[in-house]
Amino acid sequence: MSSSATALRELQRDLENKANDLSKLQKDIAKNHQVRKKYTIQLGENELVLKELDLLNEDANVYKLIGPVLVKQDLAEANANVRKRIEYISAELKRLDSSLQDLEEKQHSKREAILKVQQRIQAGKAKA
Amino acid sequence: MASSRGAGSQQVIRMADLEKMSLDQLKAVKEQADIEVNLLQDSLNNIRTATGRLENASAALHDLSLRPQGKKMLVPLTASLYVPGTLDDADKVLVDIGTGYFVEKTMSEGKDYCERKINLLKSNFDQLVEVASKKKTLADETGVVLQAKIKQLSPSS
Repeated sequence: MSSSATALRELQRDLENKANDLSKLQKDIAKNHQVRKKYTIQLGENELVLKELDLLNEDANVYKLIGPVLVKQDLAEANANVRKRIEYISAELKRLDSSLQDLEEKQHSKREAILKVQQRIQAGKAKA
Repeated sequence: MASSRGAGSQQVIRMADLEKMSLDQLKAVKEQADIEVNLLQDSLNNIRTATGRLENASAALHDLSLRPQGKKMLVPLTASLYVPGTLDDADKVLVDIGTGYFVEKTMSEGKDYCERKINLLKSNFDQLVEVASKKKTLADETGVVLQAKIKQLSPSS
């Protein structure tokens, strides 16, 4: 029965495609974790800096390293910069969280779809 | 300073659950636990190195505070080039607080900063040691159950 043979081949191709999609999803999830880790470390460092800046007197000297140059900065400006950076990193982390959830949902449904296709292939093989 | 990422995916696995699992599941759990233990050990080593560096910095500061102003010294310009100079003001120090920011502090504030950082690292270290030893016990228990199961299955096959 050539029709069931072609149907079987189509199912197998579908399985391959879905498997490729799944592995891409897994790579995306791994990358998400990596970027998340980087941002979490940066957030921690910036919070430490903010704590130190808060402990300073008004007249203390703050310098920022820009390339090879140490530039004197205003304490208020340094505070504002660090705070803004913390806000930005937190927003990025939230964005990453929601995209991770999305990716994990897609992964889950992709796995279920793959299972269904595999079951159909098994059924097809049993008949032929 | 990295925080332990395992917190989100921690599962409380009791002995009863371990007994019920199949050989493959047990192997997977043991491998996972071993990987986590290694990661935690690496973090612990990193903290130990960082604490050592901070203690060196603290000792250097203390040494510096003992030197009089105007003392002749050799100033490093590169890793292999030193230039003669004199010690100017040993009371002010520039402290690297992270993300490219430096703060001018007095000698005592600088020592205080080092102390604070060392204490912070020590408490992080202690917390991590607790988590790491719990993971290690889990890994060991899983290994024991795995061995017992293998023994159980082999005489009958």
